Amino acid sequence: MVSEERRKEILDNLSEGVVEYEEDRVVEYATAALEEGLDPFDAIMNGLAAGMEIVGDLYDRQEYFVPEILMCADALYKGLDILKPHLKKDSNGAGKPKGQVVIGTVQGDVHDIGKNLIKMMFDVGGFTVHDLGRDVPLEKFAEEQLRTDSEIVALSAMMTTTMMGMKKVIAMIKEKNPDVAIMLGGAPVTKDVAKLFGADGYAESAGNAVQEAIKMIGQLRKLGEEAAQN
Amino acid sequence: MGKQDVINAVKGLPTEKVPWVPYSGVHSAYLIGEPADKFLKDPDLIAKGVIFAAERYKADGIPLLFDLTVEAISMGCEHKWWPDNPPSITGHPLDKKTLAESGIKIPGPGDGRWPVIIEAGKKVKEALPDTALYGILCGPLTLASHLRGVRIFTDVYKNKALAKEIIDFSGEVAGEAARIYAEEIGCDVIAITDPVASQIKPETFREFVTPATQPAIQATKKAGKVSSFFICGDATKCLEEVAQVGTDGFAIDEQLNLPYVRDVALKHGVGFGGNLKLTLALSLGLLSPREDAIVSLAAGGSTGYVFAPG
Repeated sequence: MVSEERRKEILDNLSEGVVEYEEDRVVEYATAALEEGLDPFDAIMNGLAAGMEIVGDLYDRQEYFVPEILMCADALYKGLDILKPHLKKDSNGAGKPKGQVVIGTVQGDVHDIGKNLIKMMFDVGGFTVHDLGRDVPLEKFAEEQLRTDSEIVALSAMMTTTMMGMKKVIAMIKEKNPDVAIMLGGAPVTKDVAKLFGADGYAESAGNAVQEAIKMIGQLRKLGEEAAQN
Repeated sequence: MGKQDVINAVKGLPTEKVPWVPYSGVHSAYLIGEPADKFLKDPDLIAKGVIFAAERYKADGIPLLFDLTVEAISMGCEHKWWPDNPPSITGHPLDKKTLAESGIKIPGPGDGRWPVIIEAGKKVKEALPDTALYGILCGPLTLASHLRGVRIFTDVYKNKALAKEIIDFSGEVAGEAARIYAEEIGCDVIAITDPVASQIKPETFREFVTPATQPAIQATKKAGKVSSFFICGDATKCLEEVAQVGTDGFAIDEQLNLPYVRDVALKHGVGFGGNLKLTLALSLGLLSPREDAIVSLAAGGSTGYVFAPG
């Protein structure tokens, strides 16, 4: 069993390794975490993901930009590659998925940097992610949601013109399954646009997408429980 | 219309009235009832649509095209056409090959999409002698991202020499595009349009984008025309770099605060353009376009300001 002091040292190095995009450091401490018996879920959530949260803040404050975010993501994936295969399935809910997400960039749009970052954050956050990729036909989102029974559909668009397709996707999904939570993100999307289109959530950045998703799932489950009691 | 007002405003000079430049792009195709893909491949349709848009919107200036894939497609990048958008680049030739291995060359006036564009441009120029014609070209970082893919953004850290080679090469391509627009078509304003340049640190902008923008600026100056640097997204942090890149002016989008943009432009003695809200006002109507226009015009003033969508 690793001491609390050593645990903190490993987690701090994983977090700082992500923030400073030091891949070697992340690999060294992810390996140490496994060798010294630290729970890999602890290392992912309180090391790597904690680092990515700081990266999200730096991005929001415009101290980090796309190159830095991608460098941090590379470092994070180096750690995930080592730690993820060792996640225990049922220890303290560690391996239990928080929920399922269908994600993709809408038809007409081939931009996927933002979508991939959001996907990574969902991955790290313990969600099961069904990634449809980019330039996804609008009806495909509804089909995949039904097939996987996902609680969340996350839509991304980079252009004003392709953003307009999101409204149609929301209508298609809500028609088949009104309980699905839909979140929007991307350069032209704002909170007002999300509201106008009938979305349930809006992800301003990769950092807050997962928090939004957790909030939405919590609301959905609450609604489900209330419905079951009545 | 106010062609000279546009030219003066881009140069940062006072104007009698604030010039108006709608970036009609493939909206010009919509106006004449044609799909974007057909429109962009036909010089007669481009000319018809742009002339119609300029007259319909009483424009002082208008872009020939707003399509940042012209250079990449002319160099053989894989792409996809759309009926309601400009084409998208779907394959990146420098993803796994070096520049030398790829055999990519700077496209000249006879290559790729250029002959169609040159023919269309000459028709528009002849039909609209009193309207400032904008030649919009793909800026070096955006073009480098077409050629290399998303890895160009990590190359600026992990593989600086490669990033520099690709971005500088893209700058040379932009230089030839500027020459074609300015000399062969006779465009009045050359807009070096680099939307993704807002997604990098100011230091990275200075290191890679500023030097790679110079060939296009030099080609524009040599032809006796004026230049502008167009940037998209929240470019607040690199606005000082944009204002000092060496163009006569710059243009921004709806995410920026226009009074701040105006102050930066006035400080550096360059023109600025924007920022009628394309998404919130023109596309979705969440804001009144009329009121938005009044706010922009009040904030922009009449020195060096081009009123345009952002």
